[in-house]
Amino acid sequence: MKRKLLVTLLVGSMLTAAACSDSKKDSGSSGSPLKAAWIYVGPTNDGGWTTAHDNGRKAVEAALGSKVLTTFKENVPEGPEVAQVIDDLVKDGNKIIFATSFGFGDAMLAAAKKYPDVKFEHATGIPNDTPNWSTYYGAGEQSTYLAGMAAGKATKSNTIGFVAPFPIPEVVRHINAYTLGARSVNPQATVKVVWINSWFDPAKERQAAESLVSGGADIIASGGDSPAPGDAAKAAGVGWTGYDSDQGANYPDVWLTAAIYDWGSYYTKEVQAVIDGTWAKGDYYGNIADGFTTIAPYGKRVDDATRALIDAKKADIIAGKFDIFAGPINDQSGAEKVAAGKSIDFGEQMSIQWFVEGVDGEIPA
Amino acid sequence: MTGITKQFSGVLANDDVSFDVRAGEVHALLGENGAGKSTLSNVLSGLYHPDAGTIHIAGRRVELSSPRDAIACGIGMVHQHFHLVPTFTVAENIVLGEKRPFRRKETEERIRALGEEFGLPVDPAAKVWQLSVGEQQRVEILKALERQATVLILDEPTAVLTPQESETLFATLRAMARAGRSVVFISHKLDEVMAVSDRVTVLRDGRNVGTVETATTSPRELANLMVGREVVFSADDHANRPVIDRERVVLRTVDLHADDSRGRPAVRGVDLSVCAGEIVAVCGVSGNGQRELAETICGTRARTSGEVFIDGVATTGRDPREAIEMGVAHIPEDRLHTGLAASASVEHNLVLKSYRRPPISKGPLLQHRAIRKNAQELIERFGIKTPDAHTSTRLLSGGNVQKVLLARELSSDPHVLVAASPTRGLDVGAIETVRGLLLDAARRGMGVLLITEDLEEAISLSDRIVVMFAGRLAGSVDRDNADITEIGLLMGGNQ
Amino acid sequence: MIRLERRASFPKWLGWVIPIASIAAALVAGALLILVSGNDPLDTYSRILDRAFASGEALSATLIAATPLLFTGLAAAAAFKMGVFNIGGQGQFVIGTVTAAWTGLMWGDSLGKAVIPLMILAGVLGGALWAAIAGVLRAWLNTNEIITTLMLNYIAANLASWLIFNSRSYWRLLSGSGLQFPQGKRLPEGSDWPDLSLGSLVLPCGLLIGTAVAVGCWALYRHTRFGFEVSIISDSPEAAAYAGMRTKRKVLAVIALSGGLAGLGGAADVGNFRHVLDPKGLNQSGYGYAGIVIAALARLNPIAVVFVAVLMGGLSNAGRSLQGPDFPAGLVGTLQGMVLFFALGGEVLARYRIRRTVRIPEGVTV
Repeated sequence: MKRKLLVTLLVGSMLTAAACSDSKKDSGSSGSPLKAAWIYVGPTNDGGWTTAHDNGRKAVEAALGSKVLTTFKENVPEGPEVAQVIDDLVKDGNKIIFATSFGFGDAMLAAAKKYPDVKFEHATGIPNDTPNWSTYYGAGEQSTYLAGMAAGKATKSNTIGFVAPFPIPEVVRHINAYTLGARSVNPQATVKVVWINSWFDPAKERQAAESLVSGGADIIASGGDSPAPGDAAKAAGVGWTGYDSDQGANYPDVWLTAAIYDWGSYYTKEVQAVIDGTWAKGDYYGNIADGFTTIAPYGKRVDDATRALIDAKKADIIAGKFDIFAGPINDQSGAEKVAAGKSIDFGEQMSIQWFVEGVDGEIPA
Repeated sequence: MTGITKQFSGVLANDDVSFDVRAGEVHALLGENGAGKSTLSNVLSGLYHPDAGTIHIAGRRVELSSPRDAIACGIGMVHQHFHLVPTFTVAENIVLGEKRPFRRKETEERIRALGEEFGLPVDPAAKVWQLSVGEQQRVEILKALERQATVLILDEPTAVLTPQESETLFATLRAMARAGRSVVFISHKLDEVMAVSDRVTVLRDGRNVGTVETATTSPRELANLMVGREVVFSADDHANRPVIDRERVVLRTVDLHADDSRGRPAVRGVDLSVCAGEIVAVCGVSGNGQRELAETICGTRARTSGEVFIDGVATTGRDPREAIEMGVAHIPEDRLHTGLAASASVEHNLVLKSYRRPPISKGPLLQHRAIRKNAQELIERFGIKTPDAHTSTRLLSGGNVQKVLLARELSSDPHVLVAASPTRGLDVGAIETVRGLLLDAARRGMGVLLITEDLEEAISLSDRIVVMFAGRLAGSVDRDNADITEIGLLMGGNQ
Repeated sequence: MIRLERRASFPKWLGWVIPIASIAAALVAGALLILVSGNDPLDTYSRILDRAFASGEALSATLIAATPLLFTGLAAAAAFKMGVFNIGGQGQFVIGTVTAAWTGLMWGDSLGKAVIPLMILAGVLGGALWAAIAGVLRAWLNTNEIITTLMLNYIAANLASWLIFNSRSYWRLLSGSGLQFPQGKRLPEGSDWPDLSLGSLVLPCGLLIGTAVAVGCWALYRHTRFGFEVSIISDSPEAAAYAGMRTKRKVLAVIALSGGLAGLGGAADVGNFRHVLDPKGLNQSGYGYAGIVIAALARLNPIAVVFVAVLMGGLSNAGRSLQGPDFPAGLVGTLQGMVLFFALGGEVLARYRIRRTVRIPEGVTV
């Protein structure tokens, strides 16, 4: 095993030297740690998406210790600059690069072709045949469904407000799952959707949450990356389900739960594979069963009965006994879209552009 | 003041100047522009700190490092440009900056009393923007008096006044002197200095060239001291008068009407004609439509009705460019900001109007060589004193600024020259030059419309004087039977 | 007591000494900051040089970053020269990408490289017309152009977002990955602007065009009647009107020229680099606002804008290279801000001078 690693590293370093002649800080010998890098679109302290990924990076450091040296670039704008950032990271000797915004895709793929001995992994990305290219993401809809249950139980006005980033299949899928979850415990509940056309824009997110509260919502759901809707919820004294980051400690009074991802385990696995020389390309779509997606610890607004209900449902999903998209499902008009005994298959989930019954909002053209 | 020296980037503005002002006297500081009068008064009022020298007030040495210090020492300054807030009342302006609480009734009463005592009648409750220039000046003086000023400095106070207003001001200054206060009166006008002062200190090139008792001196002596050589005023020389071509009317207005910038009628039916070689002076107190009349003729102000003919051809009056191309030259009142682009170089200002034509430009391209050549020629021909042709025009002295303007306007060989207050604010030497240039222009067959408030100038320079009052021409007098008193009355609206 | 006095004249040598001294001062202050943050200043500076300018590849990346800045810098300089404060470079840039992308999408396949001049034209026209809205408002209704151009930035940003995220517009990709995430259609390869390669150094076509345009701007302002009129109007609108210049038309022309330059930058951005209409990336970029800073640093001289843009491109390029776990983005931003602060501080020193007013002790006669 050790010999294999040595050979891999030697071959790798020779390839690097050939591909990139002025690379000085190369990890040439077996003693030096593997360099891994992350490219973030937002700041590491956004309290959401980027914070979650950066916590994943820290988990890698904690797990692999001196075997790894990590770095990151934050606030990287989507544009011609990305290519330069990647070039720079490769020059610094990074052997695996993770990019966590969809908009980095083109530059990442071009770099993967340019630097065949560096592994490129793109979160929420699009599969491609390039051998050193992987994508990773997870079934956030399963945990979102569970968060929706908590919201459905907690609402008194039966109106839940959803601060939605972009009208894309991923978000539509999550809103549908959230609504199905809410209505599974409270058939009267409706989910009102406001689009903000941004992943991370605290001012807009807060504004949208405030307008939802004044429209009658007594639970706010976040679909974007910042905890700003939580601030609006706190100010209005209504409940809040977050997204992609556990903010329970910061918002104890309003917190219900949140759909979150365990990036750390995935990152650790991938980096370890590069160190071991066993890295293989793949398009990972994690789920609640393998622990990649889950829900954050409950807040005090979720009562014990509801907790038990959700935990039971979670166990069913993990056991494969429950499919959140199983029919019958009606669309917004009330017409049956998915018949009993059928389900929304994976392909349709990935391109879904219609809302289920109970969603109050529309998908722009 | 003893040995006051002040330097600006290598130029000595005041060179070891000493002079003293007695209690109860009007002391004139006389000098050409650039002689250092303003610098000296700014030192006195605490705006500038002298590089060397000392100031004593009532025998005690003082340090004036800010206008506040100067006020505390009893020095009051009335600047050429007033420092008043137009939207505040007279009373509010006067007590502005004082620390004690403002009691409107009481303050207004106090100001009214002060005004009566010194012959400075102003309504303390009026807003400053409603006041005439002369009244605003009274407010400035009252402001100084209110602050217990024992030494009052006035920088060119008559530049903005009519002859009658000036007379009133002189009376006030003499009253103040009688009351034991001291007045420092800064001017470059000999007649005023002779009329109002007890003693005169003459400055030239930053030096005190002599302090004399007014009673024992003459205007000629003062003029020679100021300029440093014998001065000749040659405009009165009859043999040299331009020949008027009565056949050729180069400027004619018919029932001309125009509004001022606030949309109120300012020119109200003016019929006027100027022949080739003739100099016609339009006299009037500022604000009676002369400025608007000039602008309307030159196309920079739209007329509301009436007609303007240049050398017999009707203008549309919609565009200054039309007037320029038809041969109207214009010396505007505000030379440095309207007549010239202040920061632009001398050579650029000299082609401000001709840049559209060859040889200054060919097609869309500027010909820098032609611009330079034009500048060299005009600088030499008009004797413009400038370090070089690239110098910013605002850095030149007032007289040279006016020469740049005249050089440009006259070198285009216009039919008509409209000159608004062309000698205002200039020193004796420059006035002489400017007047000579105007006469010369007429001699070459131009018609000159001279707009002025200076009656002496109108009489000595023009062939005919018309008086403008409230937008109308109030009377026309030939220079040979001109009577200052009569014209002054016409200017005041008394027919 | 210390006070600032405006200089009566500006000695020639100061024009050289002050920028150099400013940069030296910025380096020293920056070194202190880096030391305090626990990093090695020499290492940091050598890394900036290495990653921004030292090698062909680094310089190429710097030039890519500089290209959009060059155009927005020129746009700001062109308008500010006449005292027209066009803050709308960002919006005009965005509109330029919209119109140029449309042209490229429409004719990129059929015309091949011949579409490039059309894209340039489309970008210029788009930016110019967008700016002309503010120009007409300023010239004939006397509306403050700072406010209108700023507002038009938001409108342009939202318009571009709407085209990609909220409508089924011509620009939007409606198949493949476009179904998963809203994005623009990639322009046909034919419309990609070529680059000039000199060994490892790659000069983007847009940068070359921009440099030529900068020289053109300089000549326009220095050698034409138009430039003369602009300089007079900026100095004194009254004098310009008095001299028979058509000031309103000139205001409109200058603001449209400025917008056209920004729009050309948009065309270069889409033709040279992005190849799609990318509202998200554009709104994140802030090119238009950086252009204002560049124009100010270049003292509105178009030729100087080229150099300042490359410097700024290198700085932002190196900035991202410095950034990492031990060198947070905030520290990089502070360092960049410091350089700008010193450069502008030097500018103040060039125009004013510091005077210490000394009080003469009592009783001493000098």
